[in-house]
Amino acid sequence: MNYMYLYLPVALTSINIMIPVGLGLLVGLLSGLFGVGGGFLLTPLLIMFGIPSTVAAATDSNQIVAASTSGTYAHWKVGNVDFKMGLYLLIGGFIGGLGGVQLIKVLKATGNADFVIKMTYVLMLGIVGTYMLVESLNSVKKNKTAEVRTEKETALTRFLKTLPLQTHFEKSGVTHSLLLPVIFGGFVGVLAAIMGVGGGFLMVPVMVYILRMPMHVVVGTSLFQILFNCIEVTFLQAYTNHSVDFILAVLLLVGSTVGAQVGAVFGRKLKGEQLKIILAVIVLAVTVKIVFDLTLTPSLLLTHGGGH
Amino acid sequence: MKILSKIIMVILNLAALPGIFILGLLIFTANANAELTAKANHDHIKIDFFYHGSTVSVRGTSDPGTDLIIKITSADGHESLKQKGKVGGLLWMNTGTLNFEHVPNIYSIHSTKKIQDILNQEEALKYVIGYPALENHVEIEPVENDSERDTWFKEFIRFKESSNLYTTSEGKISTTLKDGRQSYYILTTWPYQAPPGDYLATVYSVKDGKVIETAESKVKVEQVGIVSLLAGMAKNKGALYGLISILVALSAGFGVGLIFRKGGGAH
Repeated sequence: MNYMYLYLPVALTSINIMIPVGLGLLVGLLSGLFGVGGGFLLTPLLIMFGIPSTVAAATDSNQIVAASTSGTYAHWKVGNVDFKMGLYLLIGGFIGGLGGVQLIKVLKATGNADFVIKMTYVLMLGIVGTYMLVESLNSVKKNKTAEVRTEKETALTRFLKTLPLQTHFEKSGVTHSLLLPVIFGGFVGVLAAIMGVGGGFLMVPVMVYILRMPMHVVVGTSLFQILFNCIEVTFLQAYTNHSVDFILAVLLLVGSTVGAQVGAVFGRKLKGEQLKIILAVIVLAVTVKIVFDLTLTPSLLLTHGGGH
Repeated sequence: MKILSKIIMVILNLAALPGIFILGLLIFTANANAELTAKANHDHIKIDFFYHGSTVSVRGTSDPGTDLIIKITSADGHESLKQKGKVGGLLWMNTGTLNFEHVPNIYSIHSTKKIQDILNQEEALKYVIGYPALENHVEIEPVENDSERDTWFKEFIRFKESSNLYTTSEGKISTTLKDGRQSYYILTTWPYQAPPGDYLATVYSVKDGKVIETAESKVKVEQVGIVSLLAGMAKNKGALYGLISILVALSAGFGVGLIFRKGGGAH
């Protein structure tokens, strides 16, 4: 009997157990390090290994529940989760997600859904990756020369301070209007629903650059809100699409829960700027990969429906 | 030679086929006057936790001097697939959905010689033997014209072959003459990608370009044990299944967090 392979009852295929465990470890590491779910990386990899796209996306959410629990716990232990901020981001994300789903319906009716989804994905990843890379490289340079890190009084920050419901977020050490995390959480929620991803790679830059939270608190808080998002998505996928593969999820989470812990420990040894640079490089690499996928002739011109 | 009697045997290849058991065998002969016999070693493939595909061998006897074609297939069905095309001359995207009607999910054709050399075209079309006959048999919507239809049928074959659901071989059926009868045997790989369902192995005895006899053997593929339990639950008790999946994930995440704290790895 070959114990290296397990049969996946929902994906209806057999897989070498080292593949999901290894992939889980990799995305878990990214989760713990950067506060992203890693769906933008794991879902396409699972599809590459023969998992149907709908099952890959749904099972990935289930796996992220485990990885982000593990990661949130690790970050919470060292006081790096801003639950208050996380809660408002969640409220926004939830509303945005509902809106995004409606937007997708409209797009599908016009027949342009695939194009809009792909373009949104590429542009968002490209812009976020480039901005983060340039910004963090600049601030590393600045730190080296003069240790200058002034809060610039831009028109934007002045405007933000005039918004009502100003409140202090102790853990992050910032004061914002309550509307700010709700609105930007909602914005990420819309985009994430359109792209069919968790949106961690968008939420992290929003927290860093707009909410001005310290990078280490960003990672923990992002994981916290990803956890709740993915609980919701997993339930909906299991309930409406029957596309969560429990066995595959277990194999993935064996790797990802451990990876998240290792990532959290390792992340503490890195500076916020270093974390941002590495995340920016990963995001840009994924962008390049998607651009290649879009421009190179695919090996098969027919695929199962359901995925993006 | 007795006309009605058919010898049926089951060969268990358990040494080579771990984890798979055989419950029984059902053999049908389509032609009451047939001299042809067919038996598949597995009529019941069980998908358990450690299932990684299987092998199915078909053996039997036929009249000497006949060629043989073995077709393993599932019932005709419907498949909707996304078609990729170039948008704006640059970007590959899903450009639409193609509907394939009367297509079997599995289509595996094996013959003693090249099919075109032993079977005439009308017979091939009648029994849907070979890709050209299958192309004639299926309906593809929407396509503008025959050449487009042909292109997408070929893409469909490539798609199916990429997951081992469609296969063809020539000359892999071994035949031996014994006591004035021809014995044949073939061992085929059963892909793990083939979903549970009922499949049919049909043996065609061919002479002078015509099918003179057929014999059939059923192959049933079924999920058992935990695999069957989980698949059934995912389908029929989605809410409970979802909640269990979430709870397991939460406790695994939390559990690993605790282990790391106890192990001191996080400090």
